Amino acid sequence: MDAKRVETISARVDAAVSSSDSVEDELELSAVRHRPEGLEQLEAQTRFSRKELQILYRGFKNECPSGVVNEETFKDIYSQFFPQGDASTYAHFLFNAFDTDHNGSVSFEDFVMGLSILLRGTIQEKLNWAFNLYDINKDGYITKEEMLDIMKAIYDMMGKCTYPVLKEETPRQHVEVFFQKMDKNKDGVVTIDEFIDCCQNDENIMRSMHLFENVL
Amino acid sequence: MAAGVAAWLPFARAAAIGWMPVANLPMPVAPTEKNKRQDELIILNVSGRRFQTWKNTLDRYPDTLLGSSEKEFFYNEETKEYFFDRDPDVFRSVLNFYRTGKLHYPRYECISSYDEELAFFGIVPEIIGDCCYEEYKDRKRENAERLMDDQEDNKDAKLPNMTFRETMWRAFENPHTSTMALVFYYVTGFFIAVSVITNVVETVPCGSAPNQKEVPCGERYTVAFFCMDTACVMIFTVEYLMRLFAAPSRYRFMRSVMSIIDVVAILPYYIGLVMTDNEDVSGAFVTLRVFRVFRIFKFSRHSQGLRILGYTLKSCASELGFLLFSLTMAIIIFATVMFYAEKGSSSSKFTSIPASFWYTIVTMTTLGYGDMVPKTIAGKIFGSICSLSGVLVIALPVPVIVSNFSRIYHQNQRADKRRAQKVQVSTVLFLVSWASE
Repeated sequence: MDAKRVETISARVDAAVSSSDSVEDELELSAVRHRPEGLEQLEAQTRFSRKELQILYRGFKNECPSGVVNEETFKDIYSQFFPQGDASTYAHFLFNAFDTDHNGSVSFEDFVMGLSILLRGTIQEKLNWAFNLYDINKDGYITKEEMLDIMKAIYDMMGKCTYPVLKEETPRQHVEVFFQKMDKNKDGVVTIDEFIDCCQNDENIMRSMHLFENVL
Repeated sequence: MAAGVAAWLPFARAAAIGWMPVANLPMPVAPTEKNKRQDELIILNVSGRRFQTWKNTLDRYPDTLLGSSEKEFFYNEETKEYFFDRDPDVFRSVLNFYRTGKLHYPRYECISSYDEELAFFGIVPEIIGDCCYEEYKDRKRENAERLMDDQEDNKDAKLPNMTFRETMWRAFENPHTSTMALVFYYVTGFFIAVSVITNVVETVPCGSAPNQKEVPCGERYTVAFFCMDTACVMIFTVEYLMRLFAAPSRYRFMRSVMSIIDVVAILPYYIGLVMTDNEDVSGAFVTLRVFRVFRIFKFSRHSQGLRILGYTLKSCASELGFLLFSLTMAIIIFATVMFYAEKGSSSSKFTSIPASFWYTIVTMTTLGYGDMVPKTIAGKIFGSICSLSGVLVIALPVPVIVSNFSRIYHQNQRADKRRAQKVQVSTVLFLVSWASE
């Protein structure tokens, strides 16, 4: 990411009334515009073809003309896909997972890297990414509280249109089941190795992972 | 927004990885798109100007011409493009709608041509973006009013086989349709003027006999004035009854403003006839004579300017209401303040808050009669604030009323001009056809 070019455009509009600095009515417009690295570099870094990158970028730029997505836009887009529930918490966690350099905005490179892993990556990389998503404070361990937060976010997103209808304790129970399955040494946290091991041994999860192949 | 968001579908599907490891059952298979082809460029030839766009862009709105299979009717096999014989300038806005999801209305475009293009391409005008919606609605309203004017003009055409009643009604509404109607129009106008002048002259003091005090003319020449009044009222009554007879919908006619004015104009006379000798109600009788002045409003049938004024006042009712309300608030506030400020001073005219209302009104409208003047310093300070704020409060709604009046007045001018032009055109045509025989 060292070739990032950020241009700041500032324009000043002075009021015609007075010119002294203290009472001057300044309207400073600064638009941050971000241009991604060249197509060849992205092609090399991700597993997308040139054409796919072009299509992805066009869609990205249409929604975010400034070149970066901030959390609000993320939540907005996500809630349009899941209108029946409240997708904002899940979108928040997702945003943090995409924003690998933690600067508060997701540029096209972050976006495309993430997608490359999710859609074209190996099972190992996908599970790694999922673990990263669950580990909210990025300390390498998934605690029960973090898992509960994620679970509640997912259930919130589904909204009331679930079958069977969910009760209040359902997320907590689900977390218990998850931890029983994943936490091999019963130390209350799930590490990356436990997570990957357990998932690779689970048939259902493996089958689901293979479904991502043909999304793009 | 929906169009662009569809581009994020792969991302939404990919994000499903979040709940996969916690799911108890395997994920269902995602629906695959049949006929998934690469995005292709489409060329749209609109009257020679070529526009190009992606096919996906057009597919965003499948219920329009360009988004559905309807455009295949316009496909040209030889040049491999879609040809439309329409206005290329308006097409720009149409295509931008597909690209950005927002429909804009360009100001320089004629509203009816724009509407036609939208109708051709199957786009509903209601989705015009907020930025251009006001402009669009204003222009549409102007256009509708112009069309209404045109329709009204066509009513002048002579229809065959009209009953006597209908002819009479038309004669009343449009005096220039026949000479009889014109005569009637001028006669009523004359009598309205006579009646109003009589009312005014009645009260002027005429010369007096040497040792009598001055009496108004009304009391000196009672009989003459009574005869004139009777004549006028008779004409007005006959006119009203004739209009009532000729009206196509009597109930609606009786409820209209003009007929109410007519009734109010002639009623005092009849009431006066009935109760001349009763002393108790003679006070009320005097009040009734005041209503005779409403005869002057009958002139609005004769003057278009008056009608415009009335229409303007009606359409600015909300601004006028706001003006009244804010003035009332200010009057009450300032009257209270002045009353309490002047309470201390002796021989103060501000005896009560309602008494201070008069001072406040006179000051706020910058009349300043001077019959009530504050004497204390506090009173003078508040009095000056009062007059300053009065100017502001009155100046605010006035431009709105003025602009409304100007708009309606210009529309009427336009209608008159067009009518005059039509007359000119038809006269010229008549002369030409007559000369060529």
